[in-house]
Amino acid sequence: MDSINTLFIFSGSLIALSILASRLSSLFGLPLLVIFLGLGMLAGEDGLLGIEFDDYSLAFIIGHLALAMILLDGGLRTRLKTFRVGFKPALSLATLGVFVTSGVVGVFAMWVFDLNLIQGLLVGAIVGSTDAAAVFSMLSGSGVNINERVSATLEIESGTNDPMAIFLTITLIEVLTGDIGGPLDTLLMFIKQFGLGLLIGLGFGWLSARLLRAMDLAPGLYSLLALALGFCIFGLTSALGGSGFLAIYLAGLMIGNRPGRHLQFILPVHDGLAWLSQIGLFLVLGMLVSPSEMLEYALPGALVALVLIFVARPLAVVLAIKPFFSFRWREITFISWVGLRGAVPIVLAIFPVIGGVENSALYFNVAFFVVLLSLLVQGASLAPVSRWTRVEVPIGVTPNHRGVLGILPENDYEVFVYKVENEALEDVPIRLLRFPSGALISALFRQHAMLHPKGSTQLRLGDELCVIGRTDDLPALNRLFNGNARLKRERAFFGTFTLDGDALMSEVASAYGLTLSPGEQDMSLGEFVSLRVGGHPVVGDDVGWHGIHWVVSAMDANRVTKVGLRLYQ
Amino acid sequence: MPGKLPHMTLQTILPPERTLTAVPGGSKKRVLEFFSTFIAQNTPSLDSQEVFSRLIGRERLGSTGIGNGVAIPHARSPHCKAPIAGFLKLQEPVDFDAIDGEPVDLLFVLLVPEEADETHLSLLAEVANVMNDAGTRTQLRKSESQHELYETLTQAIHRLSDGSSQ
Repeated sequence: MDSINTLFIFSGSLIALSILASRLSSLFGLPLLVIFLGLGMLAGEDGLLGIEFDDYSLAFIIGHLALAMILLDGGLRTRLKTFRVGFKPALSLATLGVFVTSGVVGVFAMWVFDLNLIQGLLVGAIVGSTDAAAVFSMLSGSGVNINERVSATLEIESGTNDPMAIFLTITLIEVLTGDIGGPLDTLLMFIKQFGLGLLIGLGFGWLSARLLRAMDLAPGLYSLLALALGFCIFGLTSALGGSGFLAIYLAGLMIGNRPGRHLQFILPVHDGLAWLSQIGLFLVLGMLVSPSEMLEYALPGALVALVLIFVARPLAVVLAIKPFFSFRWREITFISWVGLRGAVPIVLAIFPVIGGVENSALYFNVAFFVVLLSLLVQGASLAPVSRWTRVEVPIGVTPNHRGVLGILPENDYEVFVYKVENEALEDVPIRLLRFPSGALISALFRQHAMLHPKGSTQLRLGDELCVIGRTDDLPALNRLFNGNARLKRERAFFGTFTLDGDALMSEVASAYGLTLSPGEQDMSLGEFVSLRVGGHPVVGDDVGWHGIHWVVSAMDANRVTKVGLRLYQ
Repeated sequence: MPGKLPHMTLQTILPPERTLTAVPGGSKKRVLEFFSTFIAQNTPSLDSQEVFSRLIGRERLGSTGIGNGVAIPHARSPHCKAPIAGFLKLQEPVDFDAIDGEPVDLLFVLLVPEEADETHLSLLAEVANVMNDAGTRTQLRKSESQHELYETLTQAIHRLSDGSSQ
C-alpha cells in the first residue's frame, strides 16, 4: 500500500512542479522541455530525491504512449489548408532530409566514437527526426507569427518524419543483432511501414472523423472517444507491420479537419493530454539518465550535437528543398535552424537497449546530449533568428477568444471576444461603429462588471466585447478593433498602398510607368506576383521590381487578392 | 540620394493656394472631380477630364486610402510639366474604401509628369511619411484656416526632412 501512496505523491508533486516551473520559461526564456528534463534529473539517481529509475521497458511503453498522444494532437491542430504550401517540401524533408541528416551525423559519430559504419549510422538515425512536440510548442510559444510557407513546412515535417527515423533505427538494430532479412525484405518492410500507415491512418481516420461528428455524446466523452479511436488505429497499424506513428498523426489530421461542434470539446482536452505527455516523457527521460555516467560522453556528445546543428541539418534542408521548391535563402536558413530534436530521439535511443545491442548506453547518452543542446541552442534563439531571417509576418487583431454557439445545425454563428485597444474607438458610441450588419455586441465587460450595451454606450480602452457574428464578419470586425500601432506596423511591412490582385498588369504599369514584357501585359497583378515568387505564394512574400517592393498582403486559397506597394525610402 | 533633395521638391510643388480647406465631401468620385476641376483652373496645361480619369483609373486598381482617414490619390499625366501636389481637407469625411475602412477627410493629391517615375515614387514615399504621423494628422484636423493648414503641412515636411537628413 505504501508504494502506491509514494507513487501518487511523487508523480503528483513532480507534475505539479513541472507545471509551476513552466512559468520560469516565460521569465527566463528557458525552453520548457529543458525545464521538465532538468526536474526529472533532479528527481533521479544523482539528484536531490535520488530515485533509482532504470526500468527501460517501462520508459519504452511510456514513450510510445506519450508520442502517440503528441502526434494525435499535432494532427488535430494541423490545418489541411496549410498543405497547399507545406506538404511537398515537408515530405521531401521527412524522407530525403532525414536520410541526409542521419547519414552525415552517422559518419561523424563513427569517426568520433570509433564505431563501425552501421553503429555510427544508428546514432545518426536515432537523432535524425525533428520533434513534433518541440516544434509545435516552440513555434506557438515564441509568440512570433512566421510566414505560412515556413511554418507549414516545419509543422508537417515534424509530424511526418518520425516514421522515417523509426524505420531507419529498427532496420539498423536488426542489422546489428543479425535479425535482418535480405534487401528485398527490408524494402518490403519499408513499403509496409509507410503504405499501411498511410492507408489505415487516412481510412480509419476519415471514418473516425465521421463517427465523432455523427455521435451525440456528453461533451466530456468526445475527446475520450477520439483518443480511444486513435489508439486503436495506432495499435492496428503497428500490429500489421505499418507505422503506427504515421497512422495516428494522419488520423488526427482527418479528425481535426472535419468541422463541427465536437471539435471544441476535443481540442482543449487533447491540448492538455499533449502537455501531460510531454511533461511525463521528459520527466521519465530525465530520471532515466545518470548524469554521472553521462559525463564521459559529454564532449563527443556535444560535438555530435554541433555537427547536427551546423552541418547535417543545414545540408539536409538545402538538399531536400532548394533544388525542388522556390524557397528563399533566409527561409532555408530559418528551417535549418528549427531542426529541433525532442522526445523522439530519446525514445528511439531506448530501442537499442531493448533490442539488446551492445554498447547501448552510448546511444542513449549521445541522444540525450543532442536533444539537450538542440533545445538550448536552437530553441532558445528561435525568436531572434526569426526576426533576423525576416520570416516573421505581422498579424492584425484577431478575437481573443472565439467559440461556436452550436444553436443552428450548420454552426453558423460564433461568439467573438475583443478587447478595445484601438485608441480611435475611445468614447465612440456603439451606434457609430462601422459594424458589419448581422453581427451584434451582446455584452460589454468593464471593470469586472457586465454592462448592457446600448446604442449610446460609449466604448473605453480596456473594454471587453462579446460579439455574435459569422466567420464572414471577421475581416470587418478585425479591422474595426485593429489598433493604430498595429496598422502602422502592417503599413511598414506591407507598404503604404494596397492594390487588388485582380488589377490588370497593363493598367498597373501605366499608373507607375513600369515596363512589361509582352507576355505580362494580360496578366493580373496577383498572377504576376505569384509568377515572380515562383508559385505557391504566401502572405509576406515580396518581389523587388522597378524600385518598389511588391508584397503579398492577402490570399484566398492559392490566389493573391491584395498586393502591397512598399516604396524604397 | 546624393545630389537630390526630394523634400525640397515636395514643398516647392505645394504652394499655399493649392492647400484647400472645407472642401465639400459627398463621395469619393465627387471629391476627385472637385480636385480635377480645381487643378485644371489652377494649372492651364491640365485638362480636368483627363486628370479625373487618371485619378479614378488609379483608384480602380485599389483604393489610395491608407488608413487613419487619409488618402493619397496619385497619377501620372502626359500634360503635366512638373510634379504638382494639392491638399484637401473635407467638410465631411467620405467613404473611400480605405484599408482600415475609416472614412477619409484628409487628401494629399499628387500628379507627376510621365517621364518622372523615380521622382514619383520618392514623392509618394515622402507624402506617406508626412501623413503617417499621428500628431500631424491631429493638427491638420484642428487647423481652421487655409493659412494654418498650409503652415502645419510645411512644418511637418520640414520636420521630416530634418529628421531624415541626420
